[in-house]
Amino acid sequence: MLVRLLKYDFRSMLKQFSMIWLAALALALINSFTVTGLDSTSFRGETVAGISMLVYVGVMIAMFVIAVIFVIQRFYKGLLGGEGYLMHTLPVQSWELIASKLVCAVAVTFVSIIVAIVSILLICRSFIDWDGSFFQFMGWLWKNFDGDMMNAILVLAECLLLLFTGTAKSYLLLYLAMAVGHLAHKNRAGASVAAYIGIQAACNTLIGFAGGFFNNPLFRLIQNFAWESQGWGGLHITLWIFLAYTVVIAAVYFFFTNYILKHKLNLE
Amino acid sequence: MNEVLVTCAALSKRYGSKPALSGVNLQLGRGRIVGLLGPNGSGKTTLIKILCGLLQPTGGSVAIDGQPICPYTKSIVSYLPDRMYFADWMTAADLFDLFADFYADFDRNKAQAMCVSLGVTPGDRIKTMSKGTKEKVQLVLVMARKAQLYLLDEPIAGVDPAARDFILGTILTNYNENGTVMISTHLISDIEKVLDEAIFLKDGQVVLHDTVDEIREREGKSVDALFREIFRAGNYYDGGVF
Repeated sequence: MLVRLLKYDFRSMLKQFSMIWLAALALALINSFTVTGLDSTSFRGETVAGISMLVYVGVMIAMFVIAVIFVIQRFYKGLLGGEGYLMHTLPVQSWELIASKLVCAVAVTFVSIIVAIVSILLICRSFIDWDGSFFQFMGWLWKNFDGDMMNAILVLAECLLLLFTGTAKSYLLLYLAMAVGHLAHKNRAGASVAAYIGIQAACNTLIGFAGGFFNNPLFRLIQNFAWESQGWGGLHITLWIFLAYTVVIAAVYFFFTNYILKHKLNLE
Repeated sequence: MNEVLVTCAALSKRYGSKPALSGVNLQLGRGRIVGLLGPNGSGKTTLIKILCGLLQPTGGSVAIDGQPICPYTKSIVSYLPDRMYFADWMTAADLFDLFADFYADFDRNKAQAMCVSLGVTPGDRIKTMSKGTKEKVQLVLVMARKAQLYLLDEPIAGVDPAARDFILGTILTNYNENGTVMISTHLISDIEKVLDEAIFLKDGQVVLHDTVDEIREREGKSVDALFREIFRAGNYYDGGVF
């Protein structure tokens, strides 16, 4: 059933974002010509290039702002608002509803990041010497990582994984705040904002208390091993510790959000 | 298969300090058309939403086909809410895809045929449809299923008498005859002729649950007349003051 839910959430995402993504790439392509093609010494050329770049930056900012609004709206309207009447009467488990929204939210963020990177590369394409220095640089990189390329790729994968789980954790915090706010009988939006601040504060307090834990011998052992390990080993361990921490917190957020939707749902 | 389709035992629901349902005990069989009757605020919508899983009861229990509310019960319940639940980006055809994906009892051909008879173009976006057309789409989605329990929340409220007949006709010609239809309304005269059973809800409590024939025979009056008598403003509202 999760796959079927994803199908509809992704369709909703594409309907909203395909135009924005295409616009961002098209504007980047236009800018790639205007930044180099137009005569920058003439006032007209400078103005056109300036406006074109301004529009591009505007679309880029709008893309990420809309992405965040989309993430919030798809959960709030889709599960706690009018559309919730449809979603919560489907024969699916509540965790599947949350998971579907989450996967879609993380996907929209990462596709937006990829679109941003590709668009920047498009603009910079005329500044990169693809035949010469670029490949020389890549060759230099390969040479310097010689023998450790596997480790470098692994660290990159770990960083990407950390980025994925970190994004999911942030969104799950938003979901939990909205679910907690939904428990209020009045002004649920305000209660959601208050819940977001409250949960953040509670987490920070817990982390403060956990300072005691971090001083315990086991953690000191891991820490010493991480920092004292030669080369890549320490870096891998550090990244996996961060990853485990992020996954645990995200799982806690997910658990409580699911508990509220399953046992406390009140679509009044 | 359980002979009893719906069971509510000591079911209660409070909104803050305000009770919406208080100790509701109810059993519904199969193949019945049941009127859930009561004035505004009597708890009709609350009861239906609990049966759908949109509200959690404060106390008591509820079971459909012998099971508490869960994905299985949702798969055999077809629910018509008293509000729109569509995403604006969808078309009626998208909704047919969605229902076909999630409900094994959804009949797409029947839905398309109903669209033709109701004058709905499935390819139109929901956003561009009038309120009346959206309501028709919602009705098509609900009645194109061969569900075991239809929960129809105020399907004829806010429409003119001709449209009421049309909606009731659509319901009666399309429901699964082995299933039970529960229609909530306070417009009793319009639906009395099609009802097998009537449930009177008053202040969140079931004050009467019987077959329509039995009510007529025992009381010597129509269900509508009895409803008016029980819920007359002077009786219903304390002091009779509005």
